[in-house]
Amino acid sequence: MTAAITVTGLTRRYRGKLTLDHVSVGIEEGAVTGLLGRNGAGKTTLMRIIAGQEFASAGSVQVFGASPAENDRILRRMAFVREDQAYPDFKVGDALRAASWFYPNWSGELADSLMTDFALPRNRAVKKLSRGMRSALGIVIGLAARAEVTMLDEPYAGLDAVATQLFYDRLLADYAEHPRTILLSTHQVDEAAGLLERVVVMDQGRVVLDAAADDLRGAATRVSGPALAVAEFTAERQVWDRRRMGSQESAVVVGPLDGTDRRPARNPRLTLEPVSLQELVRYVGTRPAQDTRQRTIA
Amino acid sequence: MAGLGEGAPLFAQVAERLSAEIADGGLAEGERVPSSNELAAYYRINPATAAKGIGVLTDEGLLEKRRGIGMFVAAGARRRLLEQRRRQFTERYVEPMVTEAARLGVDTEELVELIREARHTREGATA
Amino acid sequence: MNTRLKVVRYHLLKKFDYLALPWAWTAFGFAVDLVIFAMIPVSHGYHQVLTAHGIVQVPNPPSSRDAGGLGGIVAVYFALGVLSIARGLPFAFALGVSRRSYYAGTALLGAVLAVGNGLAITGLQAIERATGGWGESVHIFRVPYVLDGPWYLTWLTSSVALALLFGWGMWYGIVYRRWSLPGTVTLTAAQVTVLVAAVLTITWSHAWAGTGRFFTALSAAGLTGLLAVLAAALLAGGYATIRRVTV
Repeated sequence: MTAAITVTGLTRRYRGKLTLDHVSVGIEEGAVTGLLGRNGAGKTTLMRIIAGQEFASAGSVQVFGASPAENDRILRRMAFVREDQAYPDFKVGDALRAASWFYPNWSGELADSLMTDFALPRNRAVKKLSRGMRSALGIVIGLAARAEVTMLDEPYAGLDAVATQLFYDRLLADYAEHPRTILLSTHQVDEAAGLLERVVVMDQGRVVLDAAADDLRGAATRVSGPALAVAEFTAERQVWDRRRMGSQESAVVVGPLDGTDRRPARNPRLTLEPVSLQELVRYVGTRPAQDTRQRTIA
Repeated sequence: MAGLGEGAPLFAQVAERLSAEIADGGLAEGERVPSSNELAAYYRINPATAAKGIGVLTDEGLLEKRRGIGMFVAAGARRRLLEQRRRQFTERYVEPMVTEAARLGVDTEELVELIREARHTREGATA
Repeated sequence: MNTRLKVVRYHLLKKFDYLALPWAWTAFGFAVDLVIFAMIPVSHGYHQVLTAHGIVQVPNPPSSRDAGGLGGIVAVYFALGVLSIARGLPFAFALGVSRRSYYAGTALLGAVLAVGNGLAITGLQAIERATGGWGESVHIFRVPYVLDGPWYLTWLTSSVALALLFGWGMWYGIVYRRWSLPGTVTLTAAQVTVLVAAVLTITWSHAWAGTGRFFTALSAAGLTGLLAVLAAALLAGGYATIRRVTV
């Protein structure tokens, strides 16, 4: 894997708390990577440091082989769409004009098309936009920049379901035509799941999972049915979550199940359901500290 | 994703869907297969994933590339897929049916009768 | 285009604020001054002069009346310095501008505006002189001793003064971005402390007379030099503060 972004031993201490704890990860060039995890896991801090907007206490970040902090040459190849972007006293049109000057790959055509898609008024002051429209503006700028490294931190805040789907569709379409490195931080794993090639999960300032999305699909299965049958099935396997209700039991089994496992003849009264990426991330993202040290989902 | 599940890698599912379409005759031999970008937009998945799915079928010789035009269904693809499905038929369909029949207490003769009726209905519907 | 120049362009998206507002304010102050002074008659005195024809009553030259119309532009400049950072910084960061480039570009804007407006003040001073104080002996663009000499000195002094104010404002803007209101209060307190310390030092070393002599002997050019040094110090302070600012 060629990494566009390399993070090594990144640590950030803030008021005695470790928001990032020796984070080391490589973000693959030209791929869409999902940055997942609970609120407060450190996703935003990580992205802000990569974007040079925040400083680390220790460790290093390299984008295209150089540190991005205070480096105009590297920074102009990056776009960072934040949830809470503050704008000057500009009109929407002014903000777009400014962006067109600073991003070498800026596409006015794409910007216009997205403006229409999101129904953004060019002449209104940014201050007067609703939360959803501000998010939409951030998305328009972030996508039209066609920056080689594009980072989006939960860019859909305030967007309704239709606009959110529009965002994913437009992102996908432009990425297909103009591939670039995309790092997308999101809670909406289900919506984004199809788009993600790689998945990085953070919890309490650490990276707890770094894998290809396709490797994770089918990596865990929920087995439900009569408790005895479930117990027999899960006998030799790693189990993550066991729930019991009367004589029924449900357990999440880790590790791929091969064809013989799945044959109905073998387990007539058991139901096997694949665990969705969203659920998987939830399990991984909330494991007790000692379990997260080793991640072997092959 | 639109219409794809969680149980298997997406690229494998894409390959599976395309195979099914070829096997059913929906995609004829020599017909153009949707491009990876088209598949990506349709299923709302990453184009690299879609390309990987196409790659699987190309490696199996079921699809062939015509430079500058796109991917096409290879000659004999349908025949080979049907053969493959026949081999899997027992495992995928017959065994589950037998298992479920046993569970419900349906004996062999009843089972054969049910099969006959089902075929009859199907022929009637497609007549 | 160089990143710093792009930053200048970025600020100038608010053309009215940076180009028109200082003069709008000055025009307002100008109008107010003229109206007020128009209502106050110019004092005419006479003095006696011995001529060949005997003792003659000669009118005194009209005394000049100095008005504070320039105070407005000075305040606006400070405010623009503050706003250039307080408003513009976060989005500029989002557009991939480094702190160094943002600072340099903004300072460049301030410098260019200061020189341009300094020239305008010089021009207006010339017109003022030519019209005898706008016909009312009112001197707005002539500040005794400071803006009183040759045109090039007026240009230099006013440019440096405006640049100083802009830079001072920038520093406040940065401090606000970094430490909010407590920060700006602290900055003010620190500056007052420095001033008080200077006063105390001079008092204890009985150096008031010496200080007085120094300033009296200082020419307008010398004063300008002093202001330039102060401006440089403020710009250095601002730069040191912006290095670790985050949004």
